Amino acid sequence: MKSFLKPLLMIWMVCIAGAGHTLEVIEILGGKASQIPIAVIPFKDSNPKKSLQLMNEVIANDLNRSGLFSPIDISGVSDYPYDEREVNFSNWAALQSQFIVVGKIDAIGRSNNQMQVTWSLIDIFKEKTVLSVALKGQPSQYRVIAHRIADTIYEKLTGSKGVFDTNIAFVKKLDKERYSLFIADYDGHNPRAIVNSKYSIISPRWSPDGEKIAYVSFEKRKPVIYVQNIVTGERVLLANFRGNNSAPAWSPDSKKLAIVLTYSANSQIYTIDADGKNIKQLMRTRSINTEPTWAPNGKEIYFSSDRAGSAQIYKVDIDTNEVVRVTFEGNNNVSPSLSPDGKLLLFLNQDGGSYRVAIQNLLSNQVLRLTDGPDDESPIFSPNGHMVLFTYKDYGKLSKIGTVSINGLKMTPIDVGSESILESTWGPLPN
Amino acid sequence: MKHSLLLASLLAVLAAGCSTTDINEPMGLNAPFPELESRTSDGSEVDLIGSSQGKKLSQSALEELAAAAELADRAVYFDYDSFAIKSDFEGVISNHAAFINKHDAAVVVYGNADYRGSHEYNLALGQKRAVAVKQALEALGVNGSAIETISFGEEHANQTCTGSTCGQDRRADIGYVGE
Repeated sequence: MKSFLKPLLMIWMVCIAGAGHTLEVIEILGGKASQIPIAVIPFKDSNPKKSLQLMNEVIANDLNRSGLFSPIDISGVSDYPYDEREVNFSNWAALQSQFIVVGKIDAIGRSNNQMQVTWSLIDIFKEKTVLSVALKGQPSQYRVIAHRIADTIYEKLTGSKGVFDTNIAFVKKLDKERYSLFIADYDGHNPRAIVNSKYSIISPRWSPDGEKIAYVSFEKRKPVIYVQNIVTGERVLLANFRGNNSAPAWSPDSKKLAIVLTYSANSQIYTIDADGKNIKQLMRTRSINTEPTWAPNGKEIYFSSDRAGSAQIYKVDIDTNEVVRVTFEGNNNVSPSLSPDGKLLLFLNQDGGSYRVAIQNLLSNQVLRLTDGPDDESPIFSPNGHMVLFTYKDYGKLSKIGTVSINGLKMTPIDVGSESILESTWGPLPN
Repeated sequence: MKHSLLLASLLAVLAAGCSTTDINEPMGLNAPFPELESRTSDGSEVDLIGSSQGKKLSQSALEELAAAAELADRAVYFDYDSFAIKSDFEGVISNHAAFINKHDAAVVVYGNADYRGSHEYNLALGQKRAVAVKQALEALGVNGSAIETISFGEEHANQTCTGSTCGQDRRADIGYVGE
């Protein structure tokens, strides 16, 4: 039951030219040349409302943020097409546009309080409509509808699910004694506080089933772990053991968490059932073991440790407790997480005084630094593994939040106000 | 003309029997959330001493603590990436060890870290500093089970420190239960 996460849309898929139409799937990590030029035209609105004219901008911003598309500037175009018959293919080809998105909005329903968006994705070179779709909804939901349209375009042209209709969570520090855990649309719109506290909140982690967020709160004058249902607001104190309780990480099936406890010694990793039962220590060492994260196969946990002196990332087999070191480049490597396919390790790399978001290909062990630092933190993959959400400090030393595409081509801030953003997490794809 | 095309395509879809759902269902995320500021599920306050041994300071011990100049310093500072107790702070530790032993006091050592790096790893670094002070106290005869270690990580740190000023946050503070 995840439908609460998203408003439900009435979607009619129209397969006008869909049959037999094949597109090459983009090679991720390719160069700039692999970015698809696309023109997203304002939709023709028979019942004009100002906000609806922004739908094409929402779609273009979504595609642009992914790093796989380059929306073309249409400000010089005077005559907008609204369907395939109105597209002047040679003009749009001259603008280097490979695809064009057109559509129209009609008021429908009793007293015209609903809208229907009919849109098409058209291939400029083949002079063919790739797909046409009609969506119905309330005008107030124009952003959700626009995100769904961008998701459909993304999936059609890249072969992977889009994440434009997902949610993120982040901690905002309003002042020294006011912290709030927010959830919002993935682009920062519609923020809603789900926890307000006088004390720090860190390490929010969205359960893979979308229903809960685990986080660490200092409200008991020490770090303890809560699990909060995001629909009912009900929360449960998962771990309040002697010493520190921190770093919750959900298992892929949402049934367990890895957590970090100290009792009276250094940080160690445990697994615990989501109902607080069946706690087990994973490894027993004298060194720091923290920041656990599950591999998508559910059989290994990646973590950071100072067992070799500096902080590096290791993985441990949950059944055998066999440990393998994973990172070797850089002074310190912390905050690991894995891509949904388990092939890429995302982490925070510290080298020469700068903390930057980095990705390691776990087959070749090649490391790619995605951001420039110097104070980047809290990296987490989008649910399709194509983008990374992270926090960074701007020149005023205020902490901000943004996304970077994993091809490193597109870093885009997320505007959620002027206050400091401390930690972030990305919710799963809607079912 | 365009209208009839659209209509035709919509009819085609209806005929194809695509599934339909309605957007007008309530949006779960817009449901009101309770204010949680003063609510904890178990209603309990933090119990720092837990199962540890050692006593809450008596009124006379509290007065002694407040009056003694040699007990005024509570902080032990650490070098970057180091957890060794520097000789400058051996006096702080031995003065407090003597006081703890005299009163059989329950102690909390709070570890801290500078803001750089991840919140969670800094929590672990602060803990490691707290453990280093605990072990130094134990070496001077303090019962280890009377010492609780807690880390605040970087949560109390100066978020804009530069250079040597960040050293103020690489610290463990000795605290007493009952003060």
